[in-house]
Amino acid sequence: MSSLFHLFRLWLIQLRYATTRELAFRANFFIWVIVELSWFVLQLAFVDVVYQHVDSIAGWSRPQMIVLVATNQLIQQIFTAFLMPGLVKLPESVRDGKLDFILLKPAPPQFLISTSHLEIGPLANALIAAVVVALALHDLHITPSLSTLLLYLVLILAGLLTHYALLLSLVSLTFWIVQAESVLLGYYSIFQVARLPREAATGWFRILFTFALPLLLVANIPASTLLRGFEPASLLLFLLTCLTAAIFASLFFQLGLRRYQSASS
Amino acid sequence: MIASFSALPTVFSIGLQRQLAYRWNYLLRALFSAMPLLVSWVFWGAVFQGKSTVGSYTLASLLTYYAVLLIVESVSSPADDDFQISREIREGTLNSILLRPLPYGLYRAALFLSGRCAYLVAAAIPVLLCFFLLSRVVPLELGSIDLARGIPAILGSALLQFSLTLCLSLTSFWLLDISALIFLVYSLEFLAGGHVFPLDLLPPVLFRFAQCLPFAYEYWFPTAALCGTLSPSAWLTGMAMQFGWALFFILVAQGMWKAGLRKYTAAGG
Repeated sequence: MSSLFHLFRLWLIQLRYATTRELAFRANFFIWVIVELSWFVLQLAFVDVVYQHVDSIAGWSRPQMIVLVATNQLIQQIFTAFLMPGLVKLPESVRDGKLDFILLKPAPPQFLISTSHLEIGPLANALIAAVVVALALHDLHITPSLSTLLLYLVLILAGLLTHYALLLSLVSLTFWIVQAESVLLGYYSIFQVARLPREAATGWFRILFTFALPLLLVANIPASTLLRGFEPASLLLFLLTCLTAAIFASLFFQLGLRRYQSASS
Repeated sequence: MIASFSALPTVFSIGLQRQLAYRWNYLLRALFSAMPLLVSWVFWGAVFQGKSTVGSYTLASLLTYYAVLLIVESVSSPADDDFQISREIREGTLNSILLRPLPYGLYRAALFLSGRCAYLVAAAIPVLLCFFLLSRVVPLELGSIDLARGIPAILGSALLQFSLTLCLSLTSFWLLDISALIFLVYSLEFLAGGHVFPLDLLPPVLFRFAQCLPFAYEYWFPTAALCGTLSPSAWLTGMAMQFGWALFFILVAQGMWKAGLRKYTAAGG
């Protein structure tokens, strides 16, 4: 318990340091808000174009689909703010040997790598995504109860854990492949699945992305909870699969770390 | 000038060797690039439930569009040329290139070409394998492929994308970090370039507007040309627009290069 408290304190210190560093480049903050916002607008424009031709996709109406896409954006932006910036720097640290400095510190390397950087810009976009979710719910005349909202937040955390597990597994490939910058492309490519309505997927695709890589659950389960209420079986499945994915990713990272050879002389 | 041209095969060869040293990176990139096609198959499969056409597309013709787009992208899109150029300017490694008797634009063009060739060598087998496997489960209309119109449009797309990349990268003479600008243009390319959906699914007014922009000629136009869905006159107009935009960006890049060099300070020893 005390070691968990120690890690939490360490995280707060890292956050404070990262925030100071980010605030040194204030113009950068606004530019990145616009960049990330443009990608979100792109997704909403896609939904809009498709729904000009159909009324429903796999049982999801246009506002329901907006709740799904915006929930996915909300999770992705929180992940991009807190965990992604540190993880994506791992390939470069392995290549130039800067990982040595992290390994020398008296704290778990996985924790230090994951929390070493912060981006504030995505938090503004997470807020915009939350507003879009609220507007779409208003469009559907749905007012979620407090318990539903709390459950939604817990499911958002589970979604973050799934994002974390996948990206940690991908960047850990860097211990085997020297230049692994493509893993970021892989992360964005694979996570396109999370924007799909779960009912649209069938056969092996649905099995693969529900049980092995629970991407079809990441945004679908929180969005469905808001739209259709609490489904215990789906919720339990989501929590189990995301925990399994996180444990696997952590083991894979440890395995890779054993292969690390310092690049210094 | 002639001597400069004779150096290009060497630059190409060095670039190719450098790129192939990271073949696993390319292999991963190729494998991941097939993912959007799978997602499109699942998504559009659900959209087409109970419908035979969306706009002018059947499910098979729409999926063929996305599959051909994969090929167009792998042949014509720069990998990280933009960030390489930016680093050269920012970190001052441009100094050693400036000393060489070779125009910088041609030097980068040779490296761009070597990057595309390396990518094709590393990606050819996985992409073809993905294509073969997908064609077993996904209905594709490969019979209508028009190579005679498609290949010039792909080459034009490569030229256009290279010249646009050059323009964006050369802003490094004035900006410290250009990644935000690059990602902003990426998003425009994805939406207005026909990467997310074929542009002819847009309402007519927006479609006509998109055809005035350069992005349409990066992805949508070469893909539609290769799919064989363009009329002869639409193809000719498209080629003229594509090469017109490419020429425009080359001229802008030339101007930026001259202005940038006046501002550039070579430091270090």
